[in-house]
Amino acid sequence: MSTAYAVPTDLPPSTVKNAASLLRIVALSLISGAAIASRLFAVINFESIIHEFDPWFNYRATRVLAAKGFYEFWNWFDPTAWYPLGRVVGGTVYPGLMATSGVIYNILHAINLPVDIRNICVLLAPGFSALTAWSTYMFTKEMKDPSAGLLAAAFIGIAPGYISRSVAGSYDNEAIAIFLLMFTFYCWIKALKQGSALFGTIAAVFYFYMVAAWGGYVFITNMIPLHALVLVLMGRFSDRLYVAYSSWYAIGTLASMQVPFVGFQPVSTSEHMGALGVFGLLQIVAFGQLVRSHVSSQQFQKLLQVSVVVIGLLGAFAFAFLTYNGKIAPWTGRFYSLWDTGYAKKYIPIIASVSEHQPTAWPSFFMDLQFLIFAFPAGVILCFRELRDEHLFVIIYAVMASYFAGVMVRLMLTLTPVVCVASAIALSNLLDTYIDPTEPTPVEDDTKSESEASTVGTNGSNAPAAQAPSGKKIKKAAAAVNVSGSALSDFVAATKATESGSKVKKGIFGLDVRAVVVFNTIGLLAFFVLHCTWTTAMAYSSPSVVLASSGPDGSQHIIDDFREAYYWLRQNTAEDAVVMSWWDYGYQIAGMADRPTLVDNNTWNNTHIATVGKAMSSSEENAYPILRKHDVEYILVIFGGLIGYSGDDINKFLWMVRIAQGVWPDEIQESNYFTNTGEYRVDDRASKTMKESLMYKMSYYRFADLFGGGQGTDRVRQQSLPKVGPTLDYLDEAFTSENWIVRIYQVKKEDPLGRDLKSANAFSEGKKRKRGKPTSRRRALVQ
Amino acid sequence: MFPLKKLIILAVGLFGLTSAKSSTGNSVLVVVEAAQKDDFSIFFDGMRDQGYELTFRGPKEEAPLLIEYDEPKFAHVIVLASDTKNFAKDITPQSLISLTHLKTNLILGLSTKQTPLTSLASEFGLIPPPPGTPLISYFPKREEPSTLIPITPKVQDSAVLQSRNNHPIWFSGSPHALGNNPLLVPILRAPVESFASEVDGGSPDAIVDSADKGGEGFWAGSQLGVVTGFQTLDGARVTWVGGVDVFSDEYIQKQSSKRRGVQSGNRQFAHDVVAWTFQESLVLRIDKVEHHRVNTTEPRDQYTIKDQLEFNAYISKFNPKNRKWEPFSALKDLQLEFTMLDPHIRTSLPAVSGTPGKYSANFRAPDRHGVFKFVVDYKRKGWTALHSSTTVAVVPPRHDGYPRFLSAAWPYYAGAISTSVGFFLFSAFWLAGEVRESWKRPGKASKIE
Repeated sequence: MSTAYAVPTDLPPSTVKNAASLLRIVALSLISGAAIASRLFAVINFESIIHEFDPWFNYRATRVLAAKGFYEFWNWFDPTAWYPLGRVVGGTVYPGLMATSGVIYNILHAINLPVDIRNICVLLAPGFSALTAWSTYMFTKEMKDPSAGLLAAAFIGIAPGYISRSVAGSYDNEAIAIFLLMFTFYCWIKALKQGSALFGTIAAVFYFYMVAAWGGYVFITNMIPLHALVLVLMGRFSDRLYVAYSSWYAIGTLASMQVPFVGFQPVSTSEHMGALGVFGLLQIVAFGQLVRSHVSSQQFQKLLQVSVVVIGLLGAFAFAFLTYNGKIAPWTGRFYSLWDTGYAKKYIPIIASVSEHQPTAWPSFFMDLQFLIFAFPAGVILCFRELRDEHLFVIIYAVMASYFAGVMVRLMLTLTPVVCVASAIALSNLLDTYIDPTEPTPVEDDTKSESEASTVGTNGSNAPAAQAPSGKKIKKAAAAVNVSGSALSDFVAATKATESGSKVKKGIFGLDVRAVVVFNTIGLLAFFVLHCTWTTAMAYSSPSVVLASSGPDGSQHIIDDFREAYYWLRQNTAEDAVVMSWWDYGYQIAGMADRPTLVDNNTWNNTHIATVGKAMSSSEENAYPILRKHDVEYILVIFGGLIGYSGDDINKFLWMVRIAQGVWPDEIQESNYFTNTGEYRVDDRASKTMKESLMYKMSYYRFADLFGGGQGTDRVRQQSLPKVGPTLDYLDEAFTSENWIVRIYQVKKEDPLGRDLKSANAFSEGKKRKRGKPTSRRRALVQ
Repeated sequence: MFPLKKLIILAVGLFGLTSAKSSTGNSVLVVVEAAQKDDFSIFFDGMRDQGYELTFRGPKEEAPLLIEYDEPKFAHVIVLASDTKNFAKDITPQSLISLTHLKTNLILGLSTKQTPLTSLASEFGLIPPPPGTPLISYFPKREEPSTLIPITPKVQDSAVLQSRNNHPIWFSGSPHALGNNPLLVPILRAPVESFASEVDGGSPDAIVDSADKGGEGFWAGSQLGVVTGFQTLDGARVTWVGGVDVFSDEYIQKQSSKRRGVQSGNRQFAHDVVAWTFQESLVLRIDKVEHHRVNTTEPRDQYTIKDQLEFNAYISKFNPKNRKWEPFSALKDLQLEFTMLDPHIRTSLPAVSGTPGKYSANFRAPDRHGVFKFVVDYKRKGWTALHSSTTVAVVPPRHDGYPRFLSAAWPYYAGAISTSVGFFLFSAFWLAGEVRESWKRPGKASKIE
């Protein structure tokens, strides 16, 4: 047998095996290190701080958990959120994340490592990303072989699509959820392969953990049944499937119902009905198998036909009946918007207003996955070549996740793991083929040679176990391993390899072709690493609580207006002073300023949010009673017009109007906020309603003064503002941050003389009131 | 003479430290033209007897200031210079309003002339007639001019005039219509036969004409007030007097032209007005409020839904006789609200017999979690507005606060128990059936066929 390059022949198989597994362990730990390290940009560039919005709530909840213990956390009623409705936090939160941090915190303290809870929260996501890399390795190993697994682990470790939600400080549910997702899938595949109730149970346990951690668990709830269903439909029903699915479903569903927030949803909402249906179907099919083994085939045919029709009809009627009676909740709006991207915009402005829920733009696929997005289809096609049960899983996962990622930006996160897995399979196949030192025996009959594609494809099964741990070690490892190809076959996924024997008919001749392809691939990988590092550093490591801008000379300037304003609130206002802001800032105000808020990022009460929207979009006179009714003492607005911060409230203003219009269509109309020509403007041509709205007034109050009589310019909207700014009668400016990003207004008390504040102000400015006349009461002059 | 008077003032002032009757302080600034000061000597002496320290200041004098360093210098201010058009620069309508914000009580005089105070009156919801239109009444027939009117206060007029006497109160000056400001406290209304008009030009025909127009813009009848109080949301009291002569020595000493020997009611009236305005009478306060579960005494930050709650309020009334706050149980219409955005519960808060000053209510917390407030809001004309708001959270039951076993859940218990038993039996039979392995073999073989 000829080889393309010399391979050592005097190594015993056990040495090779040990060396390979050592190399894999080293590679995995290096991958973990890289995964953690690349997520620390945020800490290095800024500081150890919680990012964005939702993490602030998680952090606050975790502090309660760490300080008061689990039961107090479970019973925690937060009177400062959703003032005055309050929030039953224990029953409206996925506690997995906080519980995880709490456990880590307690363990560290038990071994006398007094780590601050904040640092645990900040570093939790990077830590779990290492675990994600490991579980992806395990998952891919089941698909192909450990070399593909290592590639997949490396990919998921640094893919920006996952990093975007798991940088240090991004203390969100997704941080641990992706690990749980991949590990549950791994256990499912393992259970399915072995027909093991043990792995089925482990899958159920991790499924429970996932349910406790992230609302996205519904993805697993539907992926596994879908896989099982497809297997049944393809006639691949087996006892292994029955055992795996039944143990997973029964234990997993019972366990998931223990999470207070989920409660009876697994048996009462439509999202979970698929899993229940497949569970029932499997019982029927298993029963059918049992019957078939006892009766003759002709009778069975008849029985089958009748029973399928009857059961199908019964099931459909039962489902329709229960849904109609309200026993099964109809699909939620967020779910509808998965199928019809225009749905949310039409019916639920509150969902559409979240930028995460917008459809994904095409460039972001490349931004988040780079060349993986091109290798991904190849990997999926390679799965078709072999099409074992587990490959079907990857195919279904790929199809579903691709669709969802296209619909909603945030679901890019669920697509990333399968892209990593599929691309790793493709790339590993490619490398296997081209690094494999075995040269095919030249055949006389040329007609037998086939197309290049099939060469690449068949090689996956033909090549005797070429190992490609990672990047630079590929060649060495492959060379070492290859010699004892048959010896390693025990942990090679492609078991057919042994059949091929020593006569190799297909392969690559010579070193030159190999070199070109291998170097090209290594180049791709290297650029991928560069891209990931760049994207992580530039795009995904900004805490969004602290902003950074760079001067013309490249020096970094930190804009810290948010914290400045929140700490002002904390230091200068009464502890029970209610702060109103748009809901984006609710969690941050609660977390950093520790003040009650009207609405926050947990958007469960549309009317309450619409109330705030109405107050913001009404004139002062109309807003004031709303403010007083809700005991609002301060209003916080975000204004980016001075330094060009585009995520400010004026840009979000139309959403406030739309959400308010959804509840009070008679009082708030979106069209009133546009100019006659249908433009959204803030300058002289802005509509009267726009100019009188509280939001406009609060944003531009005294803005003109800043330009010393000159024409003020809004740098976000690039419009020149009127020279005379708006005036406020019912509010007092309380605080404006350094760069004017955060402006805080105090709501005035009612006038002690019972006048409306507008005329009270006019009087104190010295304006004379019109002479009054006695009100006509039309009563007799003589009583 | 003058130093002696000062000495007397000082002596009275020192004495007043122990005997002033007001609940908010005893220093009074009287803004009056020096020439008119002696016209009100009975009024002033009466106040001194009550224990007030009077300080006088001409309307154009610069000192003493009303407000110094944002602090009011006097607890009460009386402006009797009702004809003055130009005051010193610190006495402006705006500064008088800021005085009320600082809880200073005011007695302000109006006249038929247009003064800065006239424009201030309209801020308080009073609608003054055009300048130069005093109140006129030709009834009852009397010797006095038609602009000097004896007014007998009606029983229903106001709680302010407690010491009821039926002696007529002599009044001359300008009336004012009352706007719809709920903070106004009418003290003395004009007689039904009276009207505001120019003294000479008011021919009866013109009056009939304007009455025919529907009374609009027509100042007449008992809808007009002549002395009207006002209580701000901050608790300061302001009294508008249509003509300051009502406090003058002349009117106090005046006797009815028809019935000789009948003393005028002005002295008593002046006393009542001062007592009300300077927070002597009708002054209430909430000493403290308590809330707790029934049968416990400890207040809690949060209650569970459907808890039986008890709320207590302790209310005192100021007794000017001994300057003490005394428990007051006479309120009959006190209410308690348990509010989250809207009142979820509104119940009467009756006085507890046996414990003076204590008002108590028992109720069941609503089946709704949220941040609730115990609100007591008592606003009655003339009385101090009582307001108390206590915030508590009402939370759902704790995880172990629900009933443990439900009779309705018996099907589920039965299901769980039967499954457990079945599993146990199944396991037992399975293990026991192991010996029949040989019996199973043929079955399996047939299956393969």
